[in-house]
Amino acid sequence: MISLPLLRATIKQNYKVFIIFLAVLTLYFVVIAQMFEPSVYESMDQLMQTLPIQLIDAVGLKIAEPSLIGYLAGYYYGFLIVLLPLIYSIIVANRIVAKHVDKGSMAYLLSTPNKRVKIAMTQGVFLLGSMTLMILFVTVMGIISCEIIYPKELDIPRFVLLNFGALLLHSMLSGIGFLASCFFNDTKNSLGFGAGFPIFFLLVQMLLNANERLSNLRYLTLLTLFNPEAIIGGTASVLPSFIAMFLLAVILYGGAVLIFSRKDLSI
Amino acid sequence: MIEITNLTKSYGPNKGVFDLSFNVNQGEVFGYLGPNGAGKTTTIRNLLGFIHPDKGSCVIDGLDCHKDAATIQKKLGYLPGEIAFFDDMTGDEFLRLMAQMRGLKDTKRQSDLINLLTLDTKGYIRKMSKGMKQKLGLVCAFMHNPDILILDEPTSGLDPLMQSIFVELIMEQKALGKTVLMSSHSFEEIERTCDRAGIIREGRLVAVENIQTLKAERRKIYQITFQNPEEAKLFAKDYEDVVEVSGQIVDAAVSGEVGKLIKVLATFDVVGLDVVNQSLEDVFMHYYNRSDIDD
Repeated sequence: MISLPLLRATIKQNYKVFIIFLAVLTLYFVVIAQMFEPSVYESMDQLMQTLPIQLIDAVGLKIAEPSLIGYLAGYYYGFLIVLLPLIYSIIVANRIVAKHVDKGSMAYLLSTPNKRVKIAMTQGVFLLGSMTLMILFVTVMGIISCEIIYPKELDIPRFVLLNFGALLLHSMLSGIGFLASCFFNDTKNSLGFGAGFPIFFLLVQMLLNANERLSNLRYLTLLTLFNPEAIIGGTASVLPSFIAMFLLAVILYGGAVLIFSRKDLSI
Repeated sequence: MIEITNLTKSYGPNKGVFDLSFNVNQGEVFGYLGPNGAGKTTTIRNLLGFIHPDKGSCVIDGLDCHKDAATIQKKLGYLPGEIAFFDDMTGDEFLRLMAQMRGLKDTKRQSDLINLLTLDTKGYIRKMSKGMKQKLGLVCAFMHNPDILILDEPTSGLDPLMQSIFVELIMEQKALGKTVLMSSHSFEEIERTCDRAGIIREGRLVAVENIQTLKAERRKIYQITFQNPEEAKLFAKDYEDVVEVSGQIVDAAVSGEVGKLIKVLATFDVVGLDVVNQSLEDVFMHYYNRSDIDD
């Protein structure tokens, strides 16, 4: 149900951006992982104490437990793993559908004997596939870097689970961008909504982190479904939030394809 | 082959198409004439299944244009009115993608067309001139030997030489029994190739006529330059349909046969004779005026 020639063309158009994001993700991971050193950790703690607590909280730099995975869950998975792949998905989601419609090149794709559903599914498969590949890459790269820097220090099963949570989060978030891209006929709106919602979520999340009295706001953001401390802590069950993210991803992607197959196209 | 029945798609008053009905028969070349914004592209978008009609229906080869859009495309060649491609591809890459998405293995026709149109496919599309892009679009529309062709302003951006090659291409398709619908905003572009033409104005069809009939009804304006203003005035008295006299230059209108004008002119010393370029509304004034009364 997908068009392989189109998938190849889409890969060719987007692989450079993809590689740049992999490089940035790796760079941050290695830099942050290298700073894990029980002694340095203490001095980091002292450094943190000099900063306003709201600022630290806002970007989610909380340390759940003084282990390597606890450290990573706080410093890497608290913010960077949300933000960086999110930027990638916003850029790419907009490019793979809305831009073709806005520019008019979609007319050529649809002048071939391929159903709209097939075209949209091809682009959706690319986006979801590249998100999966990105998180898979982070997982493998993370395990290898940790094993090199701190042999046998990383709790690999919990690290994999943490990344699985991140994958579900990004399946859901990229679904928002994809839906916007399939819904709107111009890139202005597609980008506006596709980026607007996730950025709003991120801002709410930062407010939430900074001020506990605002905890009612947690219903305004989908990002609370991904809670690195809870995932590695294993205290509360993360299964409901994992299922929620999965279902939302299915609904968003499915809805996007359905909308695209039925709407009026200005091409 | 192409049947449009009571098609309505409104984008506000006089924008879109309203209660449009016409057929294009198998083996016919049909010209679809109208000024910019008259609803030509809206009609074509309906035929391609890009938009849903508010009312009415479009059928190509017995298939519904929206429901069976993908099936119809197998036999259809389409040239979009707006030139927009995948900018970061070369011409070759783009044509390969299109051929693959069609499941087209035989690329002989494609290379024949590239040669015929003298298209250079090596370069990046974003660096191509408007004419080059138009040629690329034409290759795309013709490369799979479709039975039906829908061409939205096919000659825009083409130089006169290429326009004649395009005319030959259409004549060749006609000889092969293909069905063609092409839109244009100038009568000259379609009079050489089309059998029939429909004229659209503000989303409403004002005429569907045989091309010979339209040629006979067309009102042409000739600009005639005389030796001196006196001669010009004398001529203006003799000739019945004078549009304007300014000094030694007279604009004279001819509907149908030009013989009458030539007969009158024979008695004068004529310095220059030119055809004035007119808009479609001027050429088919009576259609446009008539529907004003109808409104």
